[in-house]
Amino acid sequence: MTRDERGEHRTSALEWAVASLGLVLVVGTVVLLVRDAVGEGTPAVELAVRVDSVVPRGGGHAVHFTAHNAGRATAAEVTVRGERRDGDAAEESAATLDYVPGRSSRRGTLYFGGGASPRDVRLRVEGFREP
Amino acid sequence: MPPTTPAPASRSRDHRTPTRSFLVGAGRAAGGAIIFGLPLLMTMEMWQLGVGMSPLRLALLIVVTLPLLVGLSRVAGFEETVALHEDIADALVAWAIGFVVSAAVLVLFGAVGRGTTPREALGMVALQAVPASIGALLSQSQLGGQRADEGDDGRTVAEPGYWRELFLMLAGALFLAFNVAPTEEMVLIAYMMTPWHVLALTVVSLAMMHGFVYAVEFRGQESVPGHMGARVAFLRFTVVGYAIALLVSAYVLWTFGRLDDMAWSEQLTAALVLGFPASLGAAAARLLL
Repeated sequence: MTRDERGEHRTSALEWAVASLGLVLVVGTVVLLVRDAVGEGTPAVELAVRVDSVVPRGGGHAVHFTAHNAGRATAAEVTVRGERRDGDAAEESAATLDYVPGRSSRRGTLYFGGGASPRDVRLRVEGFREP
Repeated sequence: MPPTTPAPASRSRDHRTPTRSFLVGAGRAAGGAIIFGLPLLMTMEMWQLGVGMSPLRLALLIVVTLPLLVGLSRVAGFEETVALHEDIADALVAWAIGFVVSAAVLVLFGAVGRGTTPREALGMVALQAVPASIGALLSQSQLGGQRADEGDDGRTVAEPGYWRELFLMLAGALFLAFNVAPTEEMVLIAYMMTPWHVLALTVVSLAMMHGFVYAVEFRGQESVPGHMGARVAFLRFTVVGYAIALLVSAYVLWTFGRLDDMAWSEQLTAALVLGFPASLGAAAARLLL
């Protein structure tokens, strides 16, 4: 990248090292991406939600959940709806996750009022759209 | 014996070791990577695309970027690489720097964090590395590299070749298109415009391209060679350049999945809308590089 006094080009060892790093990065990235594309026959989007914890909050509860996408494709505007039954009364809360990429998780929280036991809360993924 | 004249300022660089000189150049390249990459690094659609776009299309984009970097190195990048393997080395160095800088900034912003899977991180960083590496490579020619000092030693060609001009237009179009295409606003603009708007935009794009290069007194602009009429110049450079800008726009849109499931008329509209900034980039590249 520079000339010495005789005007000849000399490429430093450091430059070759960085260039090798660049080569590794390029080839590695392309290989990983192609392998990801070719992959096994996993379905496009497979969403599941599970409750992480229920924390008392104010007069009610905060239900922390994780939505996991086992598929390879990204799901956008994932709506998670929770229903809490307290005898005959039912309470619903919903939250929307901007997007859940393939083989990834995103977390969220639903708020419920009342003092019902956390075990009465059911969560489900209501729907999503393709990005 | 008369005292030897002190070496001119530009020659003092020769006394640096190659390693030190490389580090300085690399620092400059990192600066270029940040400057060229930052607008996109702060664009949320790029994060989403990095994660959600087709991995094959992203892989193709990366594969296409490497020869682009090599070509830019030969034509406009780190100074005076004579041998092809040096251009390849410079391209790889630019990619490494662009990659690392993108990763660092994304981590700094929290876009890549604890909850990010390796696959997500790879997609986001690799996508961002494309514009960042272009910035890293061009930093030498833009931010005052050694080119300016070594005029007659340099490889600046007296009369730029036609293919070199086309390549520069392609690079400029790609960079501008890349900056605009990911955003939601780009889609929105295409929806807002009527076919008359699109037609007008096409005419304006062509006029602007032509005006940029020939009619306006910008630095670095070449005058139309005497034997070539304005009409021929229009065909050879402006129309060809606009065609290149459109093809580049279509490619970038396809890469980001913005052409999928669209009627051909909508695809054409999208390409023409993106062609406006792309043709600007093509015209500007010829001036600046």
